[in-house]
Amino acid sequence: MTALSATFACVFLVTFLAAPTMGAGWYWDAGNALGFAAFAGLIYLTITSSRRLDVRAHQVLGYGVLLVATSHAFWFMLGDAAAVEFMKLGAPDYMWHGIVSFLLLGFLITVALVPDRFRLHRNYPSFKYWHRLVAIVTIGTATYHIVVSNFYLGAWYQALLFSMLAIATSSGGRWWARFGQMPLAKTGVYIAFSLAAAIVFAAIRNLPA
Amino acid sequence: MKVIFIAIVLLGVLIVAFGSPLAGEKPVRKHYYEAPDVILPMSFAHIDHVAVNCVDCHHNFIDDTGGGLCMTCHVTNQDVWPLLENQFHDLCRGCHAEKAAEGIAGGPPRQCMACHTGDDLP
Repeated sequence: MTALSATFACVFLVTFLAAPTMGAGWYWDAGNALGFAAFAGLIYLTITSSRRLDVRAHQVLGYGVLLVATSHAFWFMLGDAAAVEFMKLGAPDYMWHGIVSFLLLGFLITVALVPDRFRLHRNYPSFKYWHRLVAIVTIGTATYHIVVSNFYLGAWYQALLFSMLAIATSSGGRWWARFGQMPLAKTGVYIAFSLAAAIVFAAIRNLPA
Repeated sequence: MKVIFIAIVLLGVLIVAFGSPLAGEKPVRKHYYEAPDVILPMSFAHIDHVAVNCVDCHHNFIDDTGGGLCMTCHVTNQDVWPLLENQFHDLCRGCHAEKAAEGIAGGPPRQCMACHTGDDLP
């Protein structure tokens, strides 16, 4: 719970460093908060997998992260008729990075399961290497999507801090391992965190001061 | 899980291709303002922007870069046309976001459909 709380706090606090009360409406801010929650889940899955892993808990939590990421994407696709126009050819590159990140996340989760894993990898070290590599690319493309869209990280230091968070997550495996085996939060707890974060994020930005 | 994920992706592709059944009327891409390629409709009401200095948007009034309406150059000049989306997003969204950050009711800083509706506003 501590690691999950800290991860959510790091991701969301960066968004509030500049213009914390600037809102774009409940609908828009809540949908984007789900995206930040999916990103928090992605980096939580990464930092908690630095040591011996409860594979089943990691896998089930991965489903939760994919569910929240799907909610973020479909929230806008279903609710804003113009948003889908930014998912077609000619869309800004930050949108393509978001789409690629989502597809990679789905790929990462689905091919990690047996029997697909056995079809693609002859041994566990090979699977682990590729799984980690794809996870890093997923975090990288998601970071680009968030930072370059420039909706909540408008100040240069916010973009820098957010990028550093992604780099520390991706490359700091040995450092994270020092914390020992962190117990993984249950998927229900992660989803509850995501919903609570979405409500608080939108409320801070949209309730009158 | 694989089947569910493929179904989600296919559903997303269908929504992108045919539009959302929940979102109301979809903006139609056309050759607005005689643009060389199809573009989304845009809404802009001068009457809502009377407090803004004209040259904040109409830079050509002072920098000698041409005359006429915005779209006279921004969709016909081959150097400027490819930048249309970025330039208008930066100008409109940037100004609205600045106002919102200052706590001033300044219109939509982000929502797509708040601007991409065709209108006949003055």
